[in-house]
Amino acid sequence: MGDQGGLEESQPVDLSIHPSGIVPTLQNIVSTVNLDCKLDLKQIALQARNAEYNPKRFAAVIMRIREPKTTALIFASGKMVCTGAKSEQQSKLAARKYARIIQKLGFNAKFKDFKIQNIVGSCDVKFPIRLEGLAYSHGAFSSYEPELFPGLIYRMKQPKIVLLIFVSGKIVITGAKVRDDTYKAFENIYPVLTEFRKVQQWCALPSLHNSPHTKKKA
Amino acid sequence: MPVCSNCRGKTFVRDDVTENLSCSTCGKLQEYDNYVHQYGGVSGPTGTFVSVGTTGSGNVYSYKETKVYEALKFIESMSLRLGLSTAEADAVKAMAREVTVGEYGQGNWFNIFVGACAYVAMRRDNKSLPIAEVVSVIGGTDVYELGRMIMRIVNFLDLKKPEFPEFDIVNLFERTLRNSYSFEGIEGDKRERMRKQGIFLLNCAKKWFLTTGRRPLPMVAAVLALVAELNGVGVRIEDLAKEIHAVVHTCKLRYRELLEALVKVAQALPWGKDVTVKNVIKNAPFVIQYMERKLMSEPSGKKDLVGGICLDLGDVREYLRNDSGYASDFCFEDDFDTEMDKLKLSHESRYFEVEDGGCKLGVEEMDALKLSHECLSMIYSKFSDEVDNVKSSKGFEEVRGTKKRRGFALHACAEWWNGQSEMSKRLLLKEILEKDVGLDAIPPSFVNGCVAVKRRKEKINAAKQRIDRIMCPSNARSGDSSDICISEEVHTRKKRKRGRGIDWEDLIIETLLLHKVKEEEIEKGWYSVLLELYVFNSGVVIPQSETLSK
Repeated sequence: MGDQGGLEESQPVDLSIHPSGIVPTLQNIVSTVNLDCKLDLKQIALQARNAEYNPKRFAAVIMRIREPKTTALIFASGKMVCTGAKSEQQSKLAARKYARIIQKLGFNAKFKDFKIQNIVGSCDVKFPIRLEGLAYSHGAFSSYEPELFPGLIYRMKQPKIVLLIFVSGKIVITGAKVRDDTYKAFENIYPVLTEFRKVQQWCALPSLHNSPHTKKKA
Repeated sequence: MPVCSNCRGKTFVRDDVTENLSCSTCGKLQEYDNYVHQYGGVSGPTGTFVSVGTTGSGNVYSYKETKVYEALKFIESMSLRLGLSTAEADAVKAMAREVTVGEYGQGNWFNIFVGACAYVAMRRDNKSLPIAEVVSVIGGTDVYELGRMIMRIVNFLDLKKPEFPEFDIVNLFERTLRNSYSFEGIEGDKRERMRKQGIFLLNCAKKWFLTTGRRPLPMVAAVLALVAELNGVGVRIEDLAKEIHAVVHTCKLRYRELLEALVKVAQALPWGKDVTVKNVIKNAPFVIQYMERKLMSEPSGKKDLVGGICLDLGDVREYLRNDSGYASDFCFEDDFDTEMDKLKLSHESRYFEVEDGGCKLGVEEMDALKLSHECLSMIYSKFSDEVDNVKSSKGFEEVRGTKKRRGFALHACAEWWNGQSEMSKRLLLKEILEKDVGLDAIPPSFVNGCVAVKRRKEKINAAKQRIDRIMCPSNARSGDSSDICISEEVHTRKKRKRGRGIDWEDLIIETLLLHKVKEEEIEKGWYSVLLELYVFNSGVVIPQSETLSK
């Protein structure tokens, strides 16, 4: 149990970096590393308790650890993919732990070419968004097909990031290799979203809790 | 050496005309004479090799020609099954040729490819063909696989917005109403009325965010079911859903959302408080009429809604008092008749209170009264017309009794539908948003998000109080313990209560609070991230400022 949880508690949002006042939360980090040795996956699966291997289904050992809570895909070539971490540091730490486990199983594993491949973040702009309007005016970047997916897929060119924008105001930002790109993409899209925000009638909200179907006969 | 199948003879005679081989001994016609004994050695007579697929003198169809032929045949059969016209089928063929550079294809992927081409070609021409329908016709795939192929074709052809319009839900509605066997045999006027009502409701649904980010088919099924009910057409939403390949549960959900939105609109009516999801169908004529009139009225001329009738509320009250049976006929719950009688006796009906209490209302309530006035004037004009008709024919009391017996029949009074408003026509989203239908709703998903945040806030407050009570028992003793119970009340129906009403979520919130996580972060509800970063942080959390400066 760490005791540094309060580190961010007193830190206000830096408006120079986050003019919107909203900081996307990182939900998943995907990283890769090269262990630089050939691996016998069957042996790993037999020796490690936290591993599963079904070559008919997938040609890699799936290994999990609890701290940081992550999952790794370990291939026979010695390449490894680490997913599920909530920060870059956690991802690296987890990858090191997996490499150490492989070493302990008798392989000459190294830790080469660690790289963050994808960062997924999410946030809530706290207002509804007219997806149809956004899709129409930003047609070159947007794909909105409600028959297939409820969100609008916005492919930003610079930084090269994909954003999933939902009518509820929830945003998913993916495709970044550094977290700054995630933040930058959100700050770029935020003014666009405000153009298509639904003007809220907050006075209507209290009545929402009295849903019509819960009403009783007078 | 061939042997006769009948007599085992070894000599055969070939007929000059038919070329059939027969036994020279018994005359039996040999069935299998594909193999002719080669005689005469290498210098003997040679025949011409004949195989299926030749065009005559040795020209064999190439693989490509066969493939193209089969592909075109498949596209034609698929177009027929999808109900496409010849021109549309030609467009599909042209698109398939363009995308495959004239190669077409074969195999399972080609079925999906043709389905995707059909979808894209139809949508390019602004005609409705839902993906679900294509999937049901081609079979062996799902919406997502077909969707991926569609997106590949769209990207390959570089189709952008004007030439590749967004999916038109109104088109889909019209097509379904036109082609559905559930609506066969409906006469032209009624069908046209249903069409306009459906478009009106769909435009409203667009305005109310009921279609944004949702699959269009269930909403179309919901609107069709509602319109059918309003017009006395016996159609079950389950049947509609099955017919248009939509999920029944989602259709019912959309139907309910539509009704809930109408209930919210109905709040402007004098009896709005009595309108619920259960009885809103019976009130739908009034609600839709109200919306229509609101749409058609000028913003400055609200008082002249009903053809400039200047109405005295007292008159309405008198009419209602003289014949409260009218109200009971057009209201609400199934068992309302008996309740209405009680109200009649006690003279406590809110339909009378509205006018009586008008002078006592505040500014906000006066606005509501204005709406009530309009609605009442509508009822009044309708009622007075009806009374005139009745008096001229059979007599008032007699009809009143009849009405009570037969109950409420929406389709019997179709004149409530005007159909003159702009919302009954195909409109752009911008135009729809500019209209005022008496309700400016927010998306259900957003509402759910707000409710969830509110619930979490209450849970956080309760958790803080629980922590305070443990950390400072002296303060807790003096404080009011009833506040702590808030958290016990905010548990949703679905949550399983445990012990004193504290569930896993409360415990996580307590843990996060103890680790000094910001309340705004907890309110978002991403507990697993916060737990990883602040609780099971493995000592690697780096202050935000440090991370950003890198």
